[in-house]
Amino acid sequence: MIISKKWLGQYMDLSDITIEEMAERITDAGLEVEGVAHMSSGSKLVIGKVLSCEAHPDSDHLHVCQVDLGDTSEQIVCGAPNVAAGQKVIVARVGAKLPDGEIKAGMIRGQASNGMICSLLELGVDAHMLSEESKNGIEVLDEDAPVGNEDPLGYLGLDDAILDVGLTPNRNDCMAAWSMALETGAILHKEVTLPYEEGSANIGTPTKLKVSSETEKCPLFLGKVINHVTIKPSPKWMKELLMAAGMKSINNVVDISNIVMLETGQPLHFYDINAIPAQEITVKDHQACTYTALDGVDYALTDDDIVITTEGKPIGIAGIMGGDDSKIEDTTSGIIIEAAIFHHVAIRNTARRLNLNTDASVRYQKGIEPMATFKAMDRAVALLREYADADGIEETVQYGDNHYTPVAFDVNLDSINKLLGTTFAEAEVMQVLEDLHFAPSKQGENIHVCIPSYRTDISMEADIAEEIIRILGYDRLPSTLPYMPATLGALDKRQRMRRRVRDILSNLGYNEAVSYSLVSKKHIEDAILPCSQDIVEMASPMSEDRRYVRNSLLPSLLGCIAYNQARNQHDVALFEISNVYGNHHVEERLAVAASGALQKNRWQKFSVDVDFYTLKGLAESMLEALGFSNNRIRVQENKLDTKHFHPYRSAELYLGKELLGIFGEIHPAMAKEYAIDDVYGMELNLEVLLNNKASKVKFIEVSKYPSVSRDLALVVKEDVKVADILNSIRKNGKLGKENIIQNVEVFDVYTGEHVEEGHKSIALSINFQSNERTLKDKEINEIFDKILETLKHDVDAQLRA
Amino acid sequence: MEKLTSIKEEGLAKIAACESLHDLQELRVLYLGKKGPIQEVMKSMKDLPKEERPAFGQQVNEVKTMFADAIEERKQVLEIKEMEEKIEKEKIDITLDGQKPNLGNLHPLMLIQQEIEDLFIGLGYTVAEGPEVEEDFYNFERANIPKDHPARDMQDTFYINEEELLRTHTTAVQMRQLEYYAKQNCHLPIKVICPGKVYRRDDDDATHSHQFMQCEGLVVAEGITLSDLKGTLEFLAQKMFGESRTIRFRPSYFQFTEPSVEVDVSCHVCGGKGCPVCKGTGWIEILGAGMVHPNVLRMAGYDPEKCSGFAFGVGIERVAMLKYGITDIRNFYTNDLRFLKTFNRFE
Repeated sequence: MIISKKWLGQYMDLSDITIEEMAERITDAGLEVEGVAHMSSGSKLVIGKVLSCEAHPDSDHLHVCQVDLGDTSEQIVCGAPNVAAGQKVIVARVGAKLPDGEIKAGMIRGQASNGMICSLLELGVDAHMLSEESKNGIEVLDEDAPVGNEDPLGYLGLDDAILDVGLTPNRNDCMAAWSMALETGAILHKEVTLPYEEGSANIGTPTKLKVSSETEKCPLFLGKVINHVTIKPSPKWMKELLMAAGMKSINNVVDISNIVMLETGQPLHFYDINAIPAQEITVKDHQACTYTALDGVDYALTDDDIVITTEGKPIGIAGIMGGDDSKIEDTTSGIIIEAAIFHHVAIRNTARRLNLNTDASVRYQKGIEPMATFKAMDRAVALLREYADADGIEETVQYGDNHYTPVAFDVNLDSINKLLGTTFAEAEVMQVLEDLHFAPSKQGENIHVCIPSYRTDISMEADIAEEIIRILGYDRLPSTLPYMPATLGALDKRQRMRRRVRDILSNLGYNEAVSYSLVSKKHIEDAILPCSQDIVEMASPMSEDRRYVRNSLLPSLLGCIAYNQARNQHDVALFEISNVYGNHHVEERLAVAASGALQKNRWQKFSVDVDFYTLKGLAESMLEALGFSNNRIRVQENKLDTKHFHPYRSAELYLGKELLGIFGEIHPAMAKEYAIDDVYGMELNLEVLLNNKASKVKFIEVSKYPSVSRDLALVVKEDVKVADILNSIRKNGKLGKENIIQNVEVFDVYTGEHVEEGHKSIALSINFQSNERTLKDKEINEIFDKILETLKHDVDAQLRA
Repeated sequence: MEKLTSIKEEGLAKIAACESLHDLQELRVLYLGKKGPIQEVMKSMKDLPKEERPAFGQQVNEVKTMFADAIEERKQVLEIKEMEEKIEKEKIDITLDGQKPNLGNLHPLMLIQQEIEDLFIGLGYTVAEGPEVEEDFYNFERANIPKDHPARDMQDTFYINEEELLRTHTTAVQMRQLEYYAKQNCHLPIKVICPGKVYRRDDDDATHSHQFMQCEGLVVAEGITLSDLKGTLEFLAQKMFGESRTIRFRPSYFQFTEPSVEVDVSCHVCGGKGCPVCKGTGWIEILGAGMVHPNVLRMAGYDPEKCSGFAFGVGIERVAMLKYGITDIRNFYTNDLRFLKTFNRFE
């Protein structure tokens, strides 16, 4: 919303306040002033008269002018093509400060020049408010401009300042200058007088005009015939106000429609009376056609658009733009006024589709206060009579209604103070309500308020509380903490587990990543154990890269690895915890991706490189720390996804019978597609962990008796799994009631020289210990022999010679 | 006898002059072993008259004891010496790089989120979450933003279909929480914070991201006031940006709160004097808040006559950017290791 100080100054005395102070106070009250602009600026300016204008002897475009400045005459060299003797012009004297710099006395190609004849552009006036003529040369003033006048900007009405006010959607009423003025008056505690006379339009002779609507999208339509108007230039005040509002003056009649719209917020449309000979206007939709609007452009209208018609043919796109053949021309002698309400959603849809945001359509979209239609008709008739010789006025015709009931209710000061936590006194609260024109009156314990029609945002006590605090000032709000019985603040199970996972992974050298949830088709196709086959897809995505909600996490991390590897970061370890989605399905997942070394110290030749076993160990340790000991975890051959994982260097991970996830080396083909190298990844479904009971800590007394360790080296066929060897060993540990095999550890795996082709050697260390007594050599030997026997039976293992 | 004396003197001299534990061991064998000068002398004892034998034997034993003591004494000296020589050879360059364990980091957004969570948990709040693929009902309808309301223009939404969308704010979680507690016999008080990812149809640039994170808070109880909101947010601002921070409220508008405010915190860089970070104003806009709109309470099943509440929402990226001086929001989502490695400590 743009409004100038002069505009507001018509309605209240603003002589005692600067534009900057106004901006601050309006902002503090909730209408954020986003900018203050002076329409023009320049010091040491004066109106001069060009006495003579000779061509510069050494230039083909400069002129040497003698200019009468009232008190003195100066020679000024001027480069403008339109300068001529006899013109009244704006002169910046030597020493004048203009937006682009200071004017100095000097010689221009040998000719003295003491000042500058100015264009409005040089005085800082916004180019889009100027005519082509004004933009291309010096500003030529009216013949009667007073020579020697030292306030040419004031003379032109350009000494105004403009507030750019950002309106919150509840205060779109302030799009109307009158509402903005009332609001400003309330904020500044000033008396406001608007140039509004209710009922100005209630005059006229009987009319033949018929208006109606065949669509619900137009609930109210006022029409009025004015048989005679005189088209002429607008008065100066009107031109100045329009310029301050960023609009161009066209002629008195068109300008009146714009001024009234700016004042009341109600867009008006004036039709040339000759374009509607039938004196019949009907609002319709379902009129798909191609239509030429008054900007001369052809628009394709659909059945949803609202169209103004006469005799079945369109004469305007309702609420957006009138038609070319009914617009006001210099030859117009009579008009039909339209003041109507159109449904904001319909206008929004049409304006968006046609990419046509006009002053009218913007107002319709933001909502127009219920009485504005009538106020605008009153005001238009008054102005047309005063400035366009309006005559032959017929009575107003009305279709429909504004369905407005005045809002009035009681509020209670105590409960307002209780909501705010304040102790405002009744007198100051009554004053605020008075200033806001809420007509407050005491009704017993309560205050009765009657809300003006333009304040559609006010309907309850909470609204009044806000009005009071914003006008009295938020600096008067105390600061307290809620007083209530103690509550227990805590994370829930999911949140605690998530934090534990984060801590474990980050402490082990993995960095947490956060990546976008919206992904491309490729990501969806590359999903690791997709959480659902139904993909969540955006109805209108911003780009193909962000069309779907991801159904797995790992591809995102692979993208991050690619980004880092491309920047010479080769030791990358990342993890991400995030939800993934399917149609009405959500799952929390953990993904890990790593490449290069997790830990290293190069000069010591120390390095922990990421491989299959790094991720396996990570998963096992992490799960153990989360309460899922390794005897509940199963790692088995990957049969589920050998497309994205290396078929022999990846595995499925189970908790009991439930699939927990998958991990291993990324398939070389996949790695190539992602432009990554040597990457290992894991994707786990955290829901499985949350749905299963974690084991509690179980304390077992540490054995007081010595432990005994025995090593053995076995030779087995190459395809024998270590897990089978370990199982075979462990089942022999029984001694009395306890299992005395505490631990079995593989410490070497070897193939090659001295081991038969197709076989491998596995060296293990078995640790025996009892909780009850010191073990005897004989007992251990017996068990050891049994182990060898079982191994031979189970996996055909031979002791290595 | 004289022989014994000379053996003693020679032996003691040899022991005293011995320079290695190995040589000392040889001397021990020589003088205290089964063959050696002492044993030789002992053999000669049988040639002595019987009555002299005990005195001689005693003398021999005394010499042996002297040898044993001297060897032990020398051994200790040599052991210390040997250890010192060994230590001398074990010099290292302590300026070489240590084996620095590679600690990973939490994402900066998560650091901020956890910090906010922890300080509200300390105030007795619980942490509530909800789906990012959300129903229009919770994201808009329940938040007092009916269909076709102009306020829906404020936030361009990723719709999935008529009824579903990517949530545009975690207000949706607040609405679910209100409903949840309303179903428990309108349980009071409600004290929750709702952190999470939200989505809006913004083109990504230095200050906009189609995905970002919010943390909203909701308190509903009897007699909750706007001044309680101010006190709570002052606490938040001081914990996040320093004990000397102050806040100010400016009137604003949100559909789901009334009154609504924008909250500024005094600039943590210049302390309020004005600097480029606060654009010279001394204040930085940090969050939006307000008293829960009576319609919102009513729709959820609470009676606004009997209870009131406040709500607030803070952008996690915004806090992180201010706190760490990050100027491009896209940094959070590229996951450049060099960026992630920066946030290696709790503050």
